Amino acid sequence: MIEAKNISKFFSVINEDRTADGITAVLSVSLNIEDGKIVSFLGPSGCGKSTFLEILGGLQAPTEGSVYIDGVQVLEPLPSTRKEMDAYRKKYKFLSPLANSMFKNRPKHDIAMIFQDYAVFPWMTVLQNVTFTLKLRGVPRSEREEKAFVYLKKTGLADSFRKYPSQASGGMRQRLALARALSVKPRIILMDEPFAAVDALTRERLQDDLLRLWEETGVTIVMVTHDTDEALYLSDEIVVFSPNPGSIRNKFTIDTQRPRRRSDPELLELKQRISSLFKYDIKHESEYSI
Amino acid sequence: MNKYKIRSVRGGFVTVLREIGYFFKGAALNIFSREFLIVFIPLLILWELLPRLGFVPRTLVPPISDVAVTFWEMLTRQNFLADIANSMHKFFLGLGIAVITAVPIGILMGWNLNIRKRTLPLFQLLSPIPPPAWVPLTIIIFGIGLPMQTFLIFLGAFYPILFNTYQAVKDTEPRYLASARIFGASELTLILRVYFWHALGAIIMSIKTGVAMGLVMLIIAEMYGGRTGIGFVLNEAKDYFQIPKMVVCMVTLGIIGWFLIEVLKFIELKLAVWKGGR
Repeated sequence: MIEAKNISKFFSVINEDRTADGITAVLSVSLNIEDGKIVSFLGPSGCGKSTFLEILGGLQAPTEGSVYIDGVQVLEPLPSTRKEMDAYRKKYKFLSPLANSMFKNRPKHDIAMIFQDYAVFPWMTVLQNVTFTLKLRGVPRSEREEKAFVYLKKTGLADSFRKYPSQASGGMRQRLALARALSVKPRIILMDEPFAAVDALTRERLQDDLLRLWEETGVTIVMVTHDTDEALYLSDEIVVFSPNPGSIRNKFTIDTQRPRRRSDPELLELKQRISSLFKYDIKHESEYSI
Repeated sequence: MNKYKIRSVRGGFVTVLREIGYFFKGAALNIFSREFLIVFIPLLILWELLPRLGFVPRTLVPPISDVAVTFWEMLTRQNFLADIANSMHKFFLGLGIAVITAVPIGILMGWNLNIRKRTLPLFQLLSPIPPPAWVPLTIIIFGIGLPMQTFLIFLGAFYPILFNTYQAVKDTEPRYLASARIFGASELTLILRVYFWHALGAIIMSIKTGVAMGLVMLIIAEMYGGRTGIGFVLNEAKDYFQIPKMVVCMVTLGIIGWFLIEVLKFIELKLAVWKGGR
């Protein structure tokens, strides 16, 4: 169970004349995500959904509010008063708040994450990418390769285990990111526009693969997307974000049975409703950023 | 599991020999390619003909045949090979010390803001001092000999390696760090498996710059305080006005520098298989 309470994220920019500008990326977003669900964050670029996802994963500290995963706080919010700031500086004197520890490989939470540009390590082979991830989770050396192959087979990569990511196609890299994320058997997988960079045919195949693996493992999947069809096809719940400032506009629950048809009339009707939501935002278009 | 043979064990000695063969073939092909020879051979002919036909004074610009004869004499009668070996000994000592100190310091500086804030200004203040400006002080402190020469070569190579390493580590793609951290990587693992590999290309590039700077400092060190080495021979030839000998020293330095860069390129190619294109 992921609980996000009143999350806000402001970025400040200090100009040269020592005046400050503020950017509100996310404004008081509260959200509960239940175990075993697929939840999509939908919205145009620059509506804070990626920032919100990174806050959920502990890659950015929120300015206000807290995220709890099974009751454990992910990252404490950034200090706001001088006194808090001093305490914060003292606490994180040497290592950054994002760091796990100096010498011991130990994750803070049972999360895996897939990034938009995959972020698989280009200097490791397909196999090494997975075994490295297993190493980080403390799997003993002798078991790593065997376990890695289980997930490489599931994602159809077992035959190209010796390739480097630069020699693999975009779809293969994406599947590698998926294999790497699944291999550590996380309870939650966060995905930041996972299928945005692959072609439409590969995307549909990857979506089916994802659903199959989700049914096998029962993980919670939280994904950011700006593809309405993808969100409708995959998710149990769609959270629509609106920009300026980034906040939740609407939530939809989809009860349609799986396997779904992409042209299901129920889904198409829902698609109409979602796209009508975005029409009001067009006047802000010039303010969008990527 | 048998289907997947994971580690390929290849014959050690034979592989090494084969790789060395590839290296020399690749390096030689750079010079002896048809495209370059079309330019290179006419240049050599011009070098030979212009002094011989009296277009330039022969006493000041020796033709290449004179240079070749002098080179052969130096090799056979004056033990020039020992001078080269001596210079290389100093050079690799200095460069080696520079690499094994500058790379770790650069990585630490790029990795941690606190370390960077405490050390970077010091290096930024020291690095603009041109390395040759250190010569007088170094001679007084170390005297004339190997420590002083090694130190000067180290000084020449240290800063380019340090700054480039630091910059490359600092610019590590945040996505890679985030994805390693979310799976639980400790900072030490990050340094060894992410920062270092991400910066590797830049580190090798910086060692190339280090080689160039190191050669500069090698010659300066030997000219000002040495009894052996290429720089000393060069300086001595100046005193006796032996122009062919000076040219031999210069050409030797050029070839050494070219060879070392080729070696580094080869290492880069071997270490960065993952960059693709192969």
